[in-house]
Amino acid sequence: MEYRIAMNPPIPTLARRTPLVVGALVAITILGFAIVSRLVTRLKANEKRIAFHAFEAGMAAYQGNNPERALDDFRAALSYDHDNPTYQLSLARALRDTGRLDESEAYLIHLWEGTPQDSTINLALARLAARRHSVDDAQRYYHNAIYGFWSTDPDRNRLRTRFELIDFLLQQKAFAQAQAELIALAQVLPPDPSAHLEVAGRFRQAQGLTDALAQYEIALKLDPKNAGALKGSGEAAFQLGRYGTAQKYLRKAVELYPDDEALQRELETASLVLSTDPFLRRISDAERNRRLVAAFNHAGARLKACGAEKQTASRVPAAGSSTETNPSPVSVETMADLWNRWTAAHRDLRRLSSASNRDMPDALMDLVLQIEQQTAQQCGQPAGPDLALLLISRDREAVDQ
Amino acid sequence: MSQAPVLPEEEPTAGGRARAEALAARLGRLTLNTTFAEDRFFLILSVFIGIFSGLAVVCFRVAIDWSRIALMGPLPHRSALRIIGAPTAVGLLVAVLVIHVFPQVRGSGVNQTKAALYIFNGYIPFKNAVGKFLCSALAIGSGQSLGPEDPSLQIGASLASALGRRLELSREKLRLLAPIGAAAGLAAAFNAPISAVLFVIEEVIGRWSAGILGSVVLSAISSVVVMRWFLGADALFRVPVTAFTHPAELIAYAVLGIAGAFAAVAFSKSIRFLRPRLRALPRWTQYLQPAIAGFLIGVIGWLGAPQVMGAGYDFIDQAMHDQFAWKFLAILAALKILATTLSFVSGTPGGMFAPTLFVGAMMGGAVGGIERHFFPLLTVSTGTYALVGMGVLFAAFLRAPMTSVFMVLEVSGNYSIIVPVIVANTVAYVLSRSLQPIPIFDILTRQDGLVLPSLEEQREEEILRVEDAMKPASILILDGAAPVEEAAIRTRELSQKSFLVRMNPSGWSVISRELLDRMMKEGKGTLTLASVLPIQRLPYLYPDLPLDAALRCVNQSEIIPVVNRADSRELEGIVTRDDVLSRYQADSVAD
Repeated sequence: MEYRIAMNPPIPTLARRTPLVVGALVAITILGFAIVSRLVTRLKANEKRIAFHAFEAGMAAYQGNNPERALDDFRAALSYDHDNPTYQLSLARALRDTGRLDESEAYLIHLWEGTPQDSTINLALARLAARRHSVDDAQRYYHNAIYGFWSTDPDRNRLRTRFELIDFLLQQKAFAQAQAELIALAQVLPPDPSAHLEVAGRFRQAQGLTDALAQYEIALKLDPKNAGALKGSGEAAFQLGRYGTAQKYLRKAVELYPDDEALQRELETASLVLSTDPFLRRISDAERNRRLVAAFNHAGARLKACGAEKQTASRVPAAGSSTETNPSPVSVETMADLWNRWTAAHRDLRRLSSASNRDMPDALMDLVLQIEQQTAQQCGQPAGPDLALLLISRDREAVDQ
Repeated sequence: MSQAPVLPEEEPTAGGRARAEALAARLGRLTLNTTFAEDRFFLILSVFIGIFSGLAVVCFRVAIDWSRIALMGPLPHRSALRIIGAPTAVGLLVAVLVIHVFPQVRGSGVNQTKAALYIFNGYIPFKNAVGKFLCSALAIGSGQSLGPEDPSLQIGASLASALGRRLELSREKLRLLAPIGAAAGLAAAFNAPISAVLFVIEEVIGRWSAGILGSVVLSAISSVVVMRWFLGADALFRVPVTAFTHPAELIAYAVLGIAGAFAAVAFSKSIRFLRPRLRALPRWTQYLQPAIAGFLIGVIGWLGAPQVMGAGYDFIDQAMHDQFAWKFLAILAALKILATTLSFVSGTPGGMFAPTLFVGAMMGGAVGGIERHFFPLLTVSTGTYALVGMGVLFAAFLRAPMTSVFMVLEVSGNYSIIVPVIVANTVAYVLSRSLQPIPIFDILTRQDGLVLPSLEEQREEEILRVEDAMKPASILILDGAAPVEEAAIRTRELSQKSFLVRMNPSGWSVISRELLDRMMKEGKGTLTLASVLPIQRLPYLYPDLPLDAALRCVNQSEIIPVVNRADSRELEGIVTRDDVLSRYQADSVAD
């Protein structure tokens, strides 16, 4: 009994009332959670409202070409509504457009981690990578965007994104990759001449002239009187050295673009090439010989004129003219050699029509083409028949190669 | 942890043994049960303190947001009237509240919590929580350059104290509740439980105490869970990708540490200089001081640096993403030091945690920008410097080196920069300590006329151990199995008055020459020493024990044996009361 009295401390009282105390604390906790929940909900609703106003102000500034002001508003919007992906995306875009690429990337990567399949985010990341000239990253994100999820109008958006990727690759001079994208794009194009025209134009930029011509021709099939397609076909065929085809399309194009001087010149050149080229199929021997002689004489005249021009320039250098305009000893020597060869060939020109000189037309034409190339180097781009001869020489060279 | 000296064993008489054993068993069961119940209840209570503190901090943050929207306007492009007028007007209101209604809510709250723990037995009036909540929310919301963390700490501590008093807890437990609540409040405010626990240990408790650690951790985690439940789990900042790639970069981080130390010392000295002078001004000026501080901060904001107003977390985030040029970052760091000094010394309630991080981030970014400008080969981003800079200033200004390291790691979630953080923080801490030996919180407590324990002081304190006072064991040691007669013969020629006896199978005892002579006279020369010595054995010590442990037993015997920990029968040395006192005396003379 003595021990019991001695060892009756206050602590067991606490131990006995512990369930009651814990119960009361749990009740206070529940009440506290309810009150704080209500408070936080109200605050968040208010903040979301403010955030929306700030976002709207930001969008207005962004569309009004004031990205700095838009940045402040987007930041304010996000400070009130941290997780809103639209605000984050808009801020990231504004940051990108103002050159703050690191921060923009931080936002976009955060968004991307949440929804890696979202095409809008991938597109924004692709554009960011494009700003950094990172071809691999850009291509990866563009592809993610193309094959990802679009909330609205997916076909149209995919097409636009692919075009954007191709434009980026063209800008980076990644022509092979651009052509690959264009080939993929060409397969899924709708039967719309303008779409084919766009693709054809990009094929031309990517140096895919054959594919470009094919796309123009598809556009023409869909709309035979399409001026752009006629012009593009003519130009592409001209660049490809298919002067007959070029003439066909250019003739029609010139009718539609009578004021286009360049087109007119191309048509004239194509016609000249066709009327000058001695190697053209389906012409008689007499006509070939006539063309050979005419080409030979044109080349001689061009060489003579160019030599005289160079000699004058070397004797009396114009004030302020650079040394580049003066002929180098090598070029003078080459031109002299060409002149000697031309003079020698001129003496044998009478034997052109004889059957024993089967190699002579080729030899003559080789000389003509050498003269045209050399004079083009020394005296600038020729015009008229000389230009036609120069183009013929380039085509032959390409064929030889 | 020091080990208590081994207590002497008691050998009860045969008659009383049974009763004593029964009593001991009964007492043991009762004590065990009650202690267990109390400890268990205390742990449960810690969880509830964490929950309540978390709820309070969520409300506090909501209140700051409301007041910011109401006072400063919701959108970023504000008028001069709001930028200058809001902090000025609120400064007047806060001054009235602080002087007439809540006189104990001035400053950050860390010192008040520490004082409650060490001076007021854990008592913090609930009114302080209300006052701190109200005044800090208004002040921070109006753009005063202060942060919400330290007030959250005090609110948590105040809530815990009030709860403990309501539950009529013992004084000892009540005293422990303040740091538990403080950790919970800080953890919820900063969304970083580990840093909060370490900060409370370093700055509030001021010493390592394993006994309270479990409760502190529980409450901190509970509060963070509650805070994340309501406000989301996002960290305070979006930390950019950071990496430590080359050891040579450590030199750059060391330079950052040096710059941080100087910035911290400037910050600390300006508060140290201005605070007592402003407080010494006539009472009527106390009404105007927060308003004048608010006005000056508003002018700074209006002139082009609104970033220094408020806690500034959004701008820390921007600094970490290379948003500002290094020159502007340096200007912002300097202006923030000025603005925070003005706010703090004027007596406006609010914390220094956030401003410290702000200054650190801006200064880090500036140093990083300068280094990259002159050494373009440095590949580290400015954001990384800003991140490390936060830790640097935390270590140098608040003098919480461990918290500073963990804070950076916790905030960034990136352990790859631990080496740069440790290097920069150590440099900053060591340099600032040599330039300004007293930490800022100690300066503040001393200015308030209080002297509270500091972990930094403890780190420097030399601990005296038993081995510092013990003498070599070059004395005669008797064996407990030896006859009294033999012992008398062996000791006859010696001048000592007492002799150590090694007992079998273990333990030590002491026998005096006087007792030996008396036994011989009584004809007990043939008895063994063990049979004639008292039941109570002599306490013994180990060489590595603190010297305080020796003080507890030097009165029990003239000689105390110091034994080997591996073999308690092997004597390492002896200590006497004179040895212990002489050692303490020598130490105090050296100090």
